[in-house]
Amino acid sequence: MSREFRFHVWGAIAWFVVLEALLVGAILFWPSFEENIDSLKAMAPIQVLKDMVDKLGEGGVAAYVNGQHFFKGCNTVGTLAAVVFAMGTVAGEAHRGTLEMLLARPLSRRRVLTERYVSGALAVIVPVFVSSLTIPWLLGFVDEDMPVGPLLLSSTQESALLLAVYSATFLYSCASSKPIQIAFAMLLFTIFQFSIYMIKEVTHVSLFRLTDVDTFAYIGATHALEPWKFLPLVAFSVTAFVAAQFVYARRTP
Amino acid sequence: MARGVTRAFGGHVALHPTDLDLGPGGVIGLLGPNGSGKSTLLRVLTGLVRPDRGEAWVDGIALSGDGTAIRRRATYAPGELALYTEMRADEHLAWLLRGRDAGALPRARATAEALGLPLRARVRTFSHGMKRQLVFAAALAPDVPVRILDEPTEGLDPTKRGAVLDLLSEDARRGTTVLLSSHHLGEVDRACDRLVFLSGGKKIADETAESVTRRARRYVRLQFAGGSDGARVAATLQRVAPTANVRTESSPSGSLRAGVVLDVDDPRAFLSAAMSEGSLPRPETIEYGQLSLAELYRELYGVEGC
Repeated sequence: MSREFRFHVWGAIAWFVVLEALLVGAILFWPSFEENIDSLKAMAPIQVLKDMVDKLGEGGVAAYVNGQHFFKGCNTVGTLAAVVFAMGTVAGEAHRGTLEMLLARPLSRRRVLTERYVSGALAVIVPVFVSSLTIPWLLGFVDEDMPVGPLLLSSTQESALLLAVYSATFLYSCASSKPIQIAFAMLLFTIFQFSIYMIKEVTHVSLFRLTDVDTFAYIGATHALEPWKFLPLVAFSVTAFVAAQFVYARRTP
Repeated sequence: MARGVTRAFGGHVALHPTDLDLGPGGVIGLLGPNGSGKSTLLRVLTGLVRPDRGEAWVDGIALSGDGTAIRRRATYAPGELALYTEMRADEHLAWLLRGRDAGALPRARATAEALGLPLRARVRTFSHGMKRQLVFAAALAPDVPVRILDEPTEGLDPTKRGAVLDLLSEDARRGTTVLLSSHHLGEVDRACDRLVFLSGGKKIADETAESVTRRARRYVRLQFAGGSDGARVAATLQRVAPTANVRTESSPSGSLRAGVVLDVDDPRAFLSAAMSEGSLPRPETIEYGQLSLAELYRELYGVEGC
């Protein structure tokens, strides 16, 4: 097992464990949430959160699980995982001084970068799907149920967002030698996006509108992805990957 | 082979237009002080750095794209050592040799063991010299016609340096072309068949080691007291030996140094004629036939640090 692949495997396991722990806690909390929904709404400090609690209450367990698992768990920890898996890809090698050795092997740069991209991308998205597949089983503990189909579609939508964050970080890493700087920049960007999501006047421009409770409610109702929310994310990832190849091909040790 | 290869980083020209013809076979030393452009040239030849202008071929393959085709025919050992310290040495060899022929890893292990490296130990426990030998073992193992090694003996003790140079000479005898760089001529000259000298990003000399050694043997250095007229000394020495290469310079202490490369092995006739010249001041010291190659280059090209 190569060094990079090992890092991604262990990272994916850690990311899955955290996500699953959040999911288990959220599902076990569902009965209390359902009983106390009015009190929780009253406690919400801002209008956007009040609206969200409303939507969770109206949508039942499916909306609650989508909100807890995808909007909260995947969007927060997933973004962190995407940044961590991508930030060191090239910048980490340059920072350690090992980039020259990496480039000196008789392997094309395109191949090396593609391997790293795919390995890291799988580490980001596989835990989302695996964790989502445990939802129906976990809901059995609170006498609830959810169909698998919409969960897989929601996982696909969520993965598209995480992949976009991962691809942007990956591209940044190909052009930089400072992984910590990349981490701070990307995490500040996502915190900013979360912040504007919470402001009613500008919430529509937040990246996280693409993976919020409304998005997953649409998927649950129609059993289909919204193309204008899904395809731009995929297109962005493809563009970032191609740009990363271009940058890496010209990179000097 | 390189033709007009040029590379600049920002406003700094690291490599002026450079031509180079090497091999097939033999050990070629690329020499010069720090910052002379050696590493840049080696990186260009292995496709790690794209030249701004010019072309390069290795074993008949033109440098294009990211240079993968060249690196399949040439191994490269970087000068700057940065390894994955969490790996075991044998794991690291396998990592370095990914994409090489199947026999490369066993050969690298054998070389590393012959050099006394503990292959089961983590690289973090290795000294600088041990890391250098590990990278060397990986560069020596693949079955390729060309090896390009940046400072392969840097940081090694004299015994290990000798062992590394012996292995390279043995490899070259089997027909491999070995291009190695060093900023310390005295460390590698015994293994090299040919010496290419860089200074300030320019090639200033390219000759066989035998020719350099012969010139070293024919070199005469005279030192005169401070205040001596350099132009007059040079003119007198040139008159005594019209076909010789004469060069004078003031030393930091104020004395005048004259270097003469004769075209004969025995300097006695020249010295006798020079001493009988009334216009030549009496030299304080005379040295001949004992210059190291490093001293010779310093005298001939005025390049320090080798």
